[in-house]
Amino acid sequence: MNTPMIEPRSALQVFRDNLLAAPRRLRDAMFRSGKPTTDRTRSTFVFGNVFLHLHSVRTHRWNLRWTTTMGLGIATTAAFLITLVTGVLLMFYYKPYPDAAYDSIKDIHFVVPTGRFIRNIHRWAANVMVVAVILHMARTFYTAAYRRPREFNWLIGMGLFVITLGLSFTGYLLPWDQLAYWAITIGANIAQSPREVTDALNMTEWFDPGGFQRLLLLGSDIVGDEALIRFYLLHVMILPLALVALMAVHFWRIRKDGGMVRPADADGRLESRKEETYPVFTEAPKKTYQLAAIVKGKTSVVNRGPENTVPSMPHLFYAELAVLMLTTLICIGLSLLSDAPLKELANPAVPENPAKAPWYFLGLQEMVAFSAFMGGIGIPSIVIIGLGLIPFLDREEQGTGEWFGGAGGWPLVKQAMVVGFGASILIEALVIRFGWLREWFPAVPQLVITAINPGTVLTLVYALYSVWLVRRYNSTRAGALGLFTVFLCGFVVLTIIGTYFRGPNWEFFWSPADWPGH
Amino acid sequence: MNKNKHLLLWSSLGVFLLLFVAAGQEEFGKEWRSIQKASRSSEGALDVRLRQIVNPTLGISDRCVSCHVGMAPGESGITGAAVTAAHKNVVHQTADYGCTTCHGGQGRATEKADAHGTVHFWPQPMLPMKYSQAGCGTCHSSLNVPNLAGLEKGRSAFERLDCLACHRVEGRGGTIRPGGGGMEGPDLSHVGVKGYVANWYDAHVQRHEQAAELPWKNSFGAISEADRAALSDYLATRVGASKLIEAKAQFNSLGCLGCHKVSGVGGDAGPDLSRAGEKDPGQANFTHVPGAPILSNWLGEHFRSPLGIVPGSQMPMMGLNEKQIDLLTMYVLSLRRRELPGAYLPKDRVSALRFGAREFATDGATIFSAICAGCHGADGKGARYPGIPPFPNIAGPDFLQVASDEFITETIKQGRPGRKMPSWSSEAGLKPEEIARVVAYLRQLGGNTALVTDTNPPRWVKGNAAEGVKLFAANCSGCHGAKGEGGEGPALNNKVLLSTANDRFFVETIGKGRRGTAMKGFLEPSPVRRALTQAEIESIITFIRNWETKK
Repeated sequence: MNTPMIEPRSALQVFRDNLLAAPRRLRDAMFRSGKPTTDRTRSTFVFGNVFLHLHSVRTHRWNLRWTTTMGLGIATTAAFLITLVTGVLLMFYYKPYPDAAYDSIKDIHFVVPTGRFIRNIHRWAANVMVVAVILHMARTFYTAAYRRPREFNWLIGMGLFVITLGLSFTGYLLPWDQLAYWAITIGANIAQSPREVTDALNMTEWFDPGGFQRLLLLGSDIVGDEALIRFYLLHVMILPLALVALMAVHFWRIRKDGGMVRPADADGRLESRKEETYPVFTEAPKKTYQLAAIVKGKTSVVNRGPENTVPSMPHLFYAELAVLMLTTLICIGLSLLSDAPLKELANPAVPENPAKAPWYFLGLQEMVAFSAFMGGIGIPSIVIIGLGLIPFLDREEQGTGEWFGGAGGWPLVKQAMVVGFGASILIEALVIRFGWLREWFPAVPQLVITAINPGTVLTLVYALYSVWLVRRYNSTRAGALGLFTVFLCGFVVLTIIGTYFRGPNWEFFWSPADWPGH
Repeated sequence: MNKNKHLLLWSSLGVFLLLFVAAGQEEFGKEWRSIQKASRSSEGALDVRLRQIVNPTLGISDRCVSCHVGMAPGESGITGAAVTAAHKNVVHQTADYGCTTCHGGQGRATEKADAHGTVHFWPQPMLPMKYSQAGCGTCHSSLNVPNLAGLEKGRSAFERLDCLACHRVEGRGGTIRPGGGGMEGPDLSHVGVKGYVANWYDAHVQRHEQAAELPWKNSFGAISEADRAALSDYLATRVGASKLIEAKAQFNSLGCLGCHKVSGVGGDAGPDLSRAGEKDPGQANFTHVPGAPILSNWLGEHFRSPLGIVPGSQMPMMGLNEKQIDLLTMYVLSLRRRELPGAYLPKDRVSALRFGAREFATDGATIFSAICAGCHGADGKGARYPGIPPFPNIAGPDFLQVASDEFITETIKQGRPGRKMPSWSSEAGLKPEEIARVVAYLRQLGGNTALVTDTNPPRWVKGNAAEGVKLFAANCSGCHGAKGEGGEGPALNNKVLLSTANDRFFVETIGKGRRGTAMKGFLEPSPVRRALTQAEIESIITFIRNWETKK
């Protein structure tokens, strides 16, 4: 019998083998646990990856249902990532200085290869992000996902919402065209609106928070180069960093607060599991096995078995990637259909009439038309405070994780929608048809109008309605549902009126075709 | 999970497909690429790339030459589509001045509609080709253009004296002799830019006297001094923009400056026109303008019927013909003066800025027709527009015989406060010597009517004011207003009039009237009233004089 001679490989052969093996070794070095084919490697795939480890390694099947989250949080994140990538590309060509800014946008539009396309995607993704974040907030609200222990994450979410609007708004000025210039002028005037009150009290001279806010925003008395560099810095640096930081907290808190919200009886309502989705624990663990000594409370699986989970890799990641790609598809599709607007070069001497803020602020602008202070500061503050208080006022537990809190919720929401739409349309119709206090009693002091204007009346009606709901159903949840719904409806109505039915001098027109001079 | 997989698959495929479409648009959807691909230069196929003229001083990046390749710097002999033709020879180098500086449009754009500026939100669309000389107005003010009659005088002298036999102007004249040679004199089309030899006449005479043979021998003759002056004026306006010069002359013939300011000179009744050629079509109302929504159409329609375009416009219907409208449109389009970096300031602009040089020639005739003719008529006989009280006849002998030069000068200087006549001694008005020329021209216009002198002092009338009240109410108030505030006739309670006109002016005017106007002589009876006596006229004047001091 011949034992083959073990020939020592020459250094050259070793080199060749190493070279051939390099790709495999690189892969092994990057993904330390090998292909995610077993439970174990699928788990390490998740927690061994810095980007994925915010996910849990296993995902409950309830969470993967499209109706649970509708992917809105991921869609918002996806839209943000798209704006991030396209935004960085745009920064290569954009010059943040008046006039040069406009020219550079023209260059991006006409000369930079795919520049117009990239800019369109950026613009559409920004709008998709605003819409998605509002819908995400509504979803969170209607499934009562803000309840204990997720109150704080609800607040973080509100912060993200505000930053999203801020990002969108600061981006609005950058093209330095008429649209941008006058929208920012309107925005800055909204910031200055506390003057309405200080003026009425005759104390602006020594106490002028409105003027200060405006100055802080613009860095000057006018919308000029100082404002542009401020908005640019906020847009490309400060707000994105803040957003990323808060997003990290937001995602992290999802897990720390017990994962995605589910109804208590979620397991029972899922159809029987398929082969591949076998449980890890066949019976409920009685105690937590992780960091028991230093973590307060219990981890989510304690006393909750046998659970109904599947490995996050690949089930959750397919879902997330699908939403990411769908969002991308929507943004790209819209970009091919419609160009981002670019009007004439900004000209402080020729005011746009009507000058309109970005669409998501047109509801505010509609109220600002009634009273600058209440519309621009007062009511938004009330709404923000109200939203922030909701998780601390609604301490019920029934219906958590259910759309509209289960049976009875949807009829209530429908009723609230009727009230929300009805009241806002009615009061707008009244104002448009008959005017308001100023038209009826020309001598009425401004403070009275600040206190009593269509915006505040509408807010009061909504508030009274939800108080009535709390008493009628003897439930804070009912009141919260109603309140959120009516405000959402009011926002929609005011935004639509501001967007489509307001013309020169903020007068009502059925169609832009009826505008004078056009 | 399957549903998610499918969603991922299909949306990824969709993204891929749309990116493919976008890439295709980028590569094959650009017109300038196909134009360049189809063009050939003397060296064969063109290098397909974005071409542009960049001039940071003028602030232009003109990509027009990406399609109009033949106009790109350094390109010549391009063949291909019509757009690739070379630029015709003009005073300025296109490689330096770019395209949009003169033609307007959006230089940064790379697509036809955007580049030509006929899109929403581009305030400076291209000037229509027939008005392209209006583009000169971006930098030039082009000085001292006479009125149409003055321009015509020079042109006709030029042709009558057969200068075209040897010289070429705007493509005419300068006969080429059979067998080569000819066109003895230089081309004078641009002679106004650099100026011409001041002693050209003497030089011509000298050449003529020394010449032994044709053409100098017999094709030149003596030219009168008046003709030489007319020729000089004409040649000064040959700057390579004859139609624009004609348009300016037209503007200087209609008295528009009586109400409108241009470059700081003119009246206040109408809007300042200094930059009217830059009006953003997006800000104009085209509801009642036929044709394309471009500024030239708006202007033309506005000249035809101001009120039909601008509600509440005070501008009278001038009754212009189409040629005049065309020229005025050209003129207004040329009012597009841009701030210029020093290196690009043309001489005419400097002399206007630094030395207050006028855009109109400052002889009495041109000043009168450029400023006064709008209201007082080109012949000075007054004008009547619908809805506006008639403007007085100031060139009739009845007026000129009693109005002294001082009176007319003061009237021009102080105006008639409260009436249309503004004061012309302000910054936006005329210099004293210019006013003097206008007054002299006015006498000439009125058939060289001189003031008939008399020996009375300025104020000698002493009538019965109480009597005058009744007489005024009965005879004068119908036209001049119950309080002399004016109506169909001029205002008589005007302080400037009362302080500058002497008694004789009133006595003669009331007594003899003004021929050619509604004012009849009151010493004669008319079918509706009796004649007034001299004493009664004096009473009226005494009464009128009370307004000079009374509020």
